[in-house]
Amino acid sequence: MKTTPNNDAHERARQLIALSGPEALSAADRRQDQPSSNAWLAAHLETCASCRAFAENAAETIRGLRSIPIAAERSLVSTTQMRVRRRALELQRHRERLWMVSVSCTAVTLCALLSTVALWRGFEWLGARAQLPSSVWQVAFLVFCVMPALVAAILLLAKDTHLPDHTGSYQG
Amino acid sequence: MTQESTEIARGLRRRDPDLLDRLIEQYQHRLLRYLVYLTGRRELAEDLFQETWIRVLERGHQFNDKYAFSTWLFSVARNLAIDYMRRKQPASLDGLMNGKDNDNNDAAPFDLPATGRPSAFDLTLQREQGEHIAAGMQHLPAEYREALMLRFQEGMSLEEIATLARVPLGTVKSRIYRGLSALEPWLKGAQL
Repeated sequence: MKTTPNNDAHERARQLIALSGPEALSAADRRQDQPSSNAWLAAHLETCASCRAFAENAAETIRGLRSIPIAAERSLVSTTQMRVRRRALELQRHRERLWMVSVSCTAVTLCALLSTVALWRGFEWLGARAQLPSSVWQVAFLVFCVMPALVAAILLLAKDTHLPDHTGSYQG
Repeated sequence: MTQESTEIARGLRRRDPDLLDRLIEQYQHRLLRYLVYLTGRRELAEDLFQETWIRVLERGHQFNDKYAFSTWLFSVARNLAIDYMRRKQPASLDGLMNGKDNDNNDAAPFDLPATGRPSAFDLTLQREQGEHIAAGMQHLPAEYREALMLRFQEGMSLEEIATLARVPLGTVKSRIYRGLSALEPWLKGAQL
C-alpha cells in the first residue's frame, strides 16, 4: 500500500515519541535526528490528536515499565559472591600449579643441558685416556643417555605382561 | 573511558575477588532485571545471573575500558542467555520468546512484590498498570523486551543498545517503536 505524506508525518512523529520516551530527546539522540525534530514534533502534536494520544500512552507505558520492581534477593547475591570467590580460588590454584610446572620444566631443561655438556666432556676424557676412537666413546655416550628411557620402557612393557600389577596378580 | 572503567579493568585482570564482590553488589538489580526481561523467566534469570559473574571472573581480561562496564556485563549475560537457548533449542534470541516454557505461567517472572505499607490510590493504579505492562511484556519477542528495558529502565543510548545487541541502529529504533506500540493494548486494558 502506498503511504501518503500525512501518514509519513504520523509515523515519524510516533517514532520520535517512542525513541525519546516521556522525557525530552537526549543530546545523543538530537545529534542523530535533525536539529529541528523537537520543534517539528511539538508543532505536529499541537494539531494531531491521535499522535497526542499515542504520546500519552507511550508515556504511561514507559512509566508502567519503570514501575515493575525486579530486585535480586540477598541470598542470590551472597550465593553468587561465594561461588565467584570459590572459582577465583580454583583459578588461582590452577595458575600457581601452572607456574610451578613451568619453573620445574625450565629447571629440568637447564640441568639436562649442563649435565649433557659435563657428560660429553667426561666421555671424551675417558675415550682419550683409553685411547679409543672417537666414534666408540660417542656411541657409548649415546647409549648412556638413552639407557634410562630404554630401561623405563622395558619395565613398563614388562609390567603389562610379566610383572605383577598392584593387586599382586599376574597378567597375560 | 572513565577512571572507574580503568580501575575495573585492572581489577578484573587481577581477578580481584573484593572488586567482584563490590561489582556484584553494585549491579545486582540491574543485571537481574535485564536477564528477567531477556529470558522472561525468573528462575532461569537467577541461574544466568550467577553464571554471568563466573564468566566475568574468567574472562575479565577481555573487558575493554573504552566501554562502560555495564554494557560489557550485559553483553556477557546476553551471550550466556543465547548459549543457553541454543543448547536447549536450535534458536537464537527468538527462542527466548514467550509461550515456549511458560504458557501457564503468565505473570510469574515479572511478579510484583506486595507492598507492606498502605498505598495511595495513585500508587495502586500505577501498580496495576505495571502488572498489565508486565503481562504484556511476556507476550513480546525477547528482542523487543530487551530493547525497551535497556532504553527505558537502563537509560542506555541507542548506540549503546546497538553495540550490545550487535544490530544496526535502525533495528534498535524499530524494536523500541514496535515494542512500545505492541504494549499499548495492554496499557489500555489497564485503563478499562
